[in-house]
Amino acid sequence: MTPFELAEPATLKEAIALLDPDDPTVRPIAGGTALMLMMKAGVFRPGRLVSLRNVKGLTAIEPMPDGALRIGAMMPLAALERSATVRAHAPVITRTMRTLSNIRVRNVATIGGSLAHADPHMDMPPVLIALGAQVVAASPAGERTIAVETLFAGYYETVLARNELITSVIIPAQGARRAAYLKCTTRAVHDWPALGVAVAVESDGTTVRDARVVVSAATETPTRLDGAEQALRGETAGDALWRQAGEAAAAEAETISDGQGSAAYKRQLVRVYVARALAAALKPDGAN
Amino acid sequence: MATLTQVGRSVPRLEGQAKVTGRAEYVHNQRLPGMLYGKIVRSTIAHGRIVKLDVGAAQALEGVHRVVTIDDVLKVVPNPFYGPAFHDQPILASGKVHYVGEPVAVVLARDPHVAEAAAQLVEAEYEELPAVFDEVEAMTSKAIVHDELKPAGTFPDLKHLKGKRDTNVALDFHLRRGDVAAAMSEADHVFEHTFRTQQVLHLPLEPYVSIGEPTDTGLTIHTASQSPSFVRIEIARLLGWPENKVRVKVPYLGGGFGGKLYIKLEALVAALALLVRRPVKISLTMEEQFYTLTKHASTFRIKSAIKDGRITARECEVWWNGGAYADIGPRITQKSGFTAPGPYDIDNVSIDSYSLYTNLTPAGALRGFGVPQLVWAYESHTDMMARALKLDPVEFRRKNLLSDGRPQATGTLMKDAAIAAVLDRVALRMNWNGPFERGSGTVKRGRGIAIGFKASISPTTSIAIVNVSADGSVTLYCSTVDMGQGSDTANAQIIAEVLNIPAERVKVVHPDTDVTPYDMATLGSRSLYHMGNAVRLAAEDARDKLAALARELGLPEGSNVPVAELFQKKYKMQAGNIIGTGSYIPSYVPPDASGQTPEATPFWMVGGAGVEIEVDTETGHVHILKLINVVDVGRPINPRIVETQISGAAVMQLGFTMQEKMEFDAGQVTNASLADYKIPSILDIPTDMQNEAVEAEQGSGPFGGKGVGESGTFAVSPAIANAIEDAVGVRLTALPLSAEAVYRALREAQGAPLEE
Repeated sequence: MTPFELAEPATLKEAIALLDPDDPTVRPIAGGTALMLMMKAGVFRPGRLVSLRNVKGLTAIEPMPDGALRIGAMMPLAALERSATVRAHAPVITRTMRTLSNIRVRNVATIGGSLAHADPHMDMPPVLIALGAQVVAASPAGERTIAVETLFAGYYETVLARNELITSVIIPAQGARRAAYLKCTTRAVHDWPALGVAVAVESDGTTVRDARVVVSAATETPTRLDGAEQALRGETAGDALWRQAGEAAAAEAETISDGQGSAAYKRQLVRVYVARALAAALKPDGAN
Repeated sequence: MATLTQVGRSVPRLEGQAKVTGRAEYVHNQRLPGMLYGKIVRSTIAHGRIVKLDVGAAQALEGVHRVVTIDDVLKVVPNPFYGPAFHDQPILASGKVHYVGEPVAVVLARDPHVAEAAAQLVEAEYEELPAVFDEVEAMTSKAIVHDELKPAGTFPDLKHLKGKRDTNVALDFHLRRGDVAAAMSEADHVFEHTFRTQQVLHLPLEPYVSIGEPTDTGLTIHTASQSPSFVRIEIARLLGWPENKVRVKVPYLGGGFGGKLYIKLEALVAALALLVRRPVKISLTMEEQFYTLTKHASTFRIKSAIKDGRITARECEVWWNGGAYADIGPRITQKSGFTAPGPYDIDNVSIDSYSLYTNLTPAGALRGFGVPQLVWAYESHTDMMARALKLDPVEFRRKNLLSDGRPQATGTLMKDAAIAAVLDRVALRMNWNGPFERGSGTVKRGRGIAIGFKASISPTTSIAIVNVSADGSVTLYCSTVDMGQGSDTANAQIIAEVLNIPAERVKVVHPDTDVTPYDMATLGSRSLYHMGNAVRLAAEDARDKLAALARELGLPEGSNVPVAELFQKKYKMQAGNIIGTGSYIPSYVPPDASGQTPEATPFWMVGGAGVEIEVDTETGHVHILKLINVVDVGRPINPRIVETQISGAAVMQLGFTMQEKMEFDAGQVTNASLADYKIPSILDIPTDMQNEAVEAEQGSGPFGGKGVGESGTFAVSPAIANAIEDAVGVRLTALPLSAEAVYRALREAQGAPLEE
């Protein structure tokens, strides 16, 4: 590892000022679980790292007047895992944490970092897209709100400017919506997912009113599958419908071949796991 | 035999406390005054001539001590080629590179990060040559890996290959017994199948690491090696020095599994240390292990004749992918090759086993020495035949098993091989004849069994010294490397049994060739048997000398005077030693031109496995519900360590069966990291895993014992493939048994193959 500068600003304003819109060797670092691996592998050689760990005001979990939940970007994933507020608001997040990497990573990795890194294999992006979440991002130009769904521009790429920081994540009130996240690994039980599927379904028990279906890992970016969502809307809930949605999802998902499986095999996984995720989301026993 | 008090007791490992408290010594943690770190620059192409090697920019980087190429090495080692079977591997690439990752230069610096940065500045230019990667293609390929074969001469049966050109065949072994053609023509049924295994690797958590240290009298090499005596002899040969100028020291190893054998980094650090006259350390990264040594990928064509439910003939053709340097591959080709027909009583056998050079990372020994590849094929094949003949797989095997007193394919009569007992115990633990729940819907259940055997590498030598001090405390000097298998504890138990003391009171001195005597190496499950016998002989020698001392002192026979008092009486103070020595080499007869010999091996290892699995028919995922491992280790010297060796071997093979595969693109490993090459974690291990050593005794072993390190690997792979066919009716013939491979086979069987 070659020497680099490590800045540890105390305020958001200082942090943003230390970033450089034109220099790819200057990057913010949150938990560092992903960035450190890239540095060890020599894929990323920093000139300056701007650590966000001392920046004040990025670690609150607070309900908002409209029923949404705001989560500070520097909240460690393990803190979300243990938060009763998060569990009440979106239990799918609590459940997802149990299989997200391992406790050592969850203790350090942050919710903001897991989005800004834009690794398509991460678990939180599809879950947050299914929940309709947004991020608030700050830059010298001011603050803006971005739907998580539109945050990812490509493989390890976001729409954020180099001097723009995610400050919080806003998860809207879920109402009657029920969500599930399933992931499938192919090389070991504990592995980066070959496929992640997050679904959020609104139904009156017999008819699906609305649904969000998101796949990740098998595709270049976490992707909502409109065809599968349309196939669900207004139809009668049940295994037959879940299978139809799985078929629609498989037809639509642009899966990619890699060490975890061929594109064709991953399409089959999409077919199966979309149906299974829908069934899991609406399981009547309240497990979800 | 009198009642045993030390042997057969689960003595806690002597080094256990030091290891769990982080006090055990490893080369990885060692630092010497003035030490330089070396970083290896590696070839980026699979086969080519080095046109230019520009080290200028690297040499110019601040903090770089020196950049070394083969031209520098030649100043201290005029003939820089090494290897146990062939002197084919250069200390650094010489003229040509033969695989991606081959070392071409080394950067030396006080700061390892500087060395690493400078290594990226070395510019190599190559003229690419055609490459060959597949072991079967290598038989006829126009791409030839080595211009000329260079047998080491260590093994007399390879001498005829000296100077041979235009071939990738490093060794071909042939065995002929009976009349295969006649038996095939008279058979009721003839079955033929071909099976393949993939490249995998050892991945010890302590990667390869060595330090070369120039001394006033010669050279000391501190190394994580399984073969200190070989290292000493080979380095002495390379330098043209007497053995006693080279000192090789080996503390504990963080795993070895057959990787850390012969020469790995030792010749390189020796040359570097002599060049710069300072200690030089090279520690490989986890990723660099992928460019050091693998397990042989293999292709095995097997054909059997069946008459009246008996296997009457078997024809075996095995191709071993040896990679760019032979390492110990030729031994595997022969010593494991002759067990290719399996533990069956077959009158007519032919074996052709070929060790091939290819342009991949060299392959060598890995926990099983080729046997898991063979068992994978012959036990899949055996199950397929039983299925086709509608015979129960256990009964079919039982009817054909080799029993003691019957000749194996080499003609060697079986002895002390509990093959039938192992099969019986597997079947019993599986409740094989009981009802079996087959699952429903998209989850189907199946079960499978398999059994394999292995011969020991022979002939090999072990020497031991037992030192009884004046207070009666006992120290063992031997060059067996405790790399996690528990050899220190087992050897202490053997001594303790002979000298009637608690095993916990025996001190074991770790390999240091200035101090500890010769041992062939810690490999192939040979140590408990060979070193165990030497240690027993050394302890008996010490015991006899103590008895002689008592007689000399005029004590009556059986007076049982404490040892300390004997020394006191003899030397009038606490002084003196009794030195017992033991040397062991089993008898051996080399095979004749037909592969026949009356003494192929000093002992046989037997391993059986049974599994119950679930298959998700929509995704191909296989979930192993139960894994039963039963082996013959003779009498277990330490039952608890035996159990952990069985389970450790089985879990390792489980990884090779279900998960692990080195992926290549034009010879470049594309998943050279633990993030992308997945070894089993606790979650991949079946919750119900049972491990058993059958009641047995190895007549020629120390207190009836023999090796255990590999036996748990033998049968795991075919047992699972057999269970998959049992569950969902598809047969996989290539490892690993990935979910995608299973799913593709299911689609194939439905007549709707999944597109590529």
